[in-house]
Amino acid sequence: MKLKKVVSLILALTLCLSLAACGKNDTSTNAKNDTKKDTTQSTKGNEDNADGTSSAELSGRLVVWTLANDLKDFADRFMEKHPGVEVETIVIAPADYPTKVQSALLGGAKEPDIIVGEPQMLPDMFDAGFFEDLNQAPYNAQDYADKIVDYVWKVGQDENGIQRAISYQITPAGIFYRRDIAKEVFGTEDPEEIGKLFKDYNTIIETGKKLKEHGYRIFASDGEMNYFSGDTPWVVDGKLNVDQARYDYMDLCIELYQKDLTAFASQWSSPWYQAMAGEVPILTADTNVWDEEELAKASENAEKTEVFAFGLPSWGVLIMRDNYGETAGKWGICAGPAYGFGGGTYIGISSNSERKELAWEFVKFCTLNDETLEWWIEFSEGDIVSYIPVLEKYADYENPMYGNQKTYAFWLKQAEGIDYSKVTRYDKVIGDAWGAAITAIKTGQMSREEAINQFYDTVQSTYPELIIER
Amino acid sequence: MVLHFWAYQRGQVMNSVKKVKKRNINNVAYLFVLPFVIVFLVFNVYPVLRTLQLSFTSYKGYGKIDYIGFANYIRVLKDKFFWRALGNTANIWGVNIIVQLGLALLLTIVFNDIKYRIKGLSIFRAIFYLPNLIATTSVAFLFKTLMDWRFGTFNQLLIKLGLIDTPVDWLGSTKTAPYVISMIGAWMWFGNSFILLMAGVQGISRDYFEAATIDGAGRWKIFTKITMPLLRPILLYVTVTSAIGGIQMFDIPFLVSGGTMGNPSGKLQTAIMYLYKFGFETYQVGYASAVAYIIFLIILVVSILQFRLYTRKEDR
Repeated sequence: MKLKKVVSLILALTLCLSLAACGKNDTSTNAKNDTKKDTTQSTKGNEDNADGTSSAELSGRLVVWTLANDLKDFADRFMEKHPGVEVETIVIAPADYPTKVQSALLGGAKEPDIIVGEPQMLPDMFDAGFFEDLNQAPYNAQDYADKIVDYVWKVGQDENGIQRAISYQITPAGIFYRRDIAKEVFGTEDPEEIGKLFKDYNTIIETGKKLKEHGYRIFASDGEMNYFSGDTPWVVDGKLNVDQARYDYMDLCIELYQKDLTAFASQWSSPWYQAMAGEVPILTADTNVWDEEELAKASENAEKTEVFAFGLPSWGVLIMRDNYGETAGKWGICAGPAYGFGGGTYIGISSNSERKELAWEFVKFCTLNDETLEWWIEFSEGDIVSYIPVLEKYADYENPMYGNQKTYAFWLKQAEGIDYSKVTRYDKVIGDAWGAAITAIKTGQMSREEAINQFYDTVQSTYPELIIER
Repeated sequence: MVLHFWAYQRGQVMNSVKKVKKRNINNVAYLFVLPFVIVFLVFNVYPVLRTLQLSFTSYKGYGKIDYIGFANYIRVLKDKFFWRALGNTANIWGVNIIVQLGLALLLTIVFNDIKYRIKGLSIFRAIFYLPNLIATTSVAFLFKTLMDWRFGTFNQLLIKLGLIDTPVDWLGSTKTAPYVISMIGAWMWFGNSFILLMAGVQGISRDYFEAATIDGAGRWKIFTKITMPLLRPILLYVTVTSAIGGIQMFDIPFLVSGGTMGNPSGKLQTAIMYLYKFGFETYQVGYASAVAYIIFLIILVVSILQFRLYTRKEDR
């Protein structure tokens, strides 16, 4: 009887302790590992070369939380160059990213070591103190200020001018178009000439009509000009600001949709990607796309189309590379109706990290290293980097994947018009609400007046602190 | 007398031994419930109290906490989009529960019919329950594909059958999108309700049904006079749990509409999507906490009302 009691007591205690022990053990093991790693990490003669590379032999472990696969490629390259380092890269969808970082860092997690952000996410993340101050020793980021394109350098600063993140890329927007279709329909494939077909919204509609006459569609979705829309920020001095360019963009989307000038795919959906690779069916009511025979028959009867153009920032080369399939080599890039830009991955060090020195080596490797960035240009098939020495070197680079077009010179020209003062922390919600208004009008769910009023109401409800003049 | 005293003494000693034993056993039992209590305190009680505290602040998820009294609660109650989201939730759930319970009840009647005993109940039960086992993300993706305006199989089927001439934008129209969500919910949960109702019906003595049949009662009479009244506790359980789950509806409409805006035209924005928008997209954590408490109070009121409704009927 006594034995039974003792056994049950021990069991109960074990159960309780195991609960508490789970967390405690983890952290203590982690801490132990970290200390071990910290002693082994990186610092054998930590002298930097002029180009930001470190002459030290690096070792240790890093955890990177990022928004897309690009940093995974950088991490692989980093491990190749520094076999003693193990980098674990976790890709998190942009919609979930800020929340995940917030939960981890506010919970005191020591990992991730490297965190990133897109420009519109950065102000909140800087305010929350998630990013390490890179101006202080041993980083002394300000020493590299003249090596990075000015606007990129500034986007990585908080409101007190402290450097907290750096991006390896600049992100001007352009129009990726099919050279073969251009030649057939417009008799030329010259980027300058094709750019004229997109010079303003009225011309875009005319271009769309002409393409439709030849059995093509100008865009896959009606939101392709989004990166070029809006002349001024959504919020100016605490006031909601809807400029004329926003209304013009709204009208364009409605017209493209209602006149059947697109392939009716949503941006980032499977049919949208599919349209990069070639034919997509023109989806009329009597085409059963799920019946292979019927689809093939429909294709014979020319009930299919090809999409002429996609509006994307310079990192669109990565999207193209992964999706253009058989249309590889048939693409060109030209200017859009205005200067535009979008996204950009800004890399920084988590303020909670216990491996900051190694993390800084990784940041420098991705953003301030000639060899890495030259490799990246080749690997990405022409992504445009923010590191000035490599930019200058590649100014006359002829991109074989884009008909030997001088894509670098093109993107650099577009980048001159980038105005990052247009980025505000309100962009996501206000942009989504404007998009919802456009959809409601184009599909006939609401009148223009109703939809715009609903837009104002949504913004007012979400951000009561903003002044709204209708 | 001595004997009596001895017996009395022995009784007292035995009682105190029993008391001691009882106390010891209780203490050991506390250790057994301790793990649950710890988990409950950390993961249930603490978040609930912390949310209440935050609902009186302008906390952004980081930085300092400023107390602003009832301002968040006043803002929630004044915001038409909160009421719209609540209306959307009620609309979607209302249609869902009618279809879900209706279907489950119909199947229960069919499978319990005393004359036509259907074989293979366990197989059917498993089949009906299957949709519940599919991950919600998969269900959302499946229906998004099936109900797609231009690509969707559902439209192609209707056109082939000659029921419609042009494809219907099921998920893009304000007139149809909420009810597509209702149907998805009903499809996912009717199996669960069916199992519960079957268990309820099988708990009713067969004698009642046999006696009623002998007395000449028809199916409808048996259903309304025997099955339904005796099923009331189970029906109460199903509707209360469904109402609580319904008010907390999030994943399917969020995934189908592709964000917290609840497009088309906000018709799919449920109360929890509204909460999520403020808590996780715009970092107004204090405000989102107040929304959470108001939703909690609404769930409480709805549950109490449902209990009252059913117990009153029972009293009659």
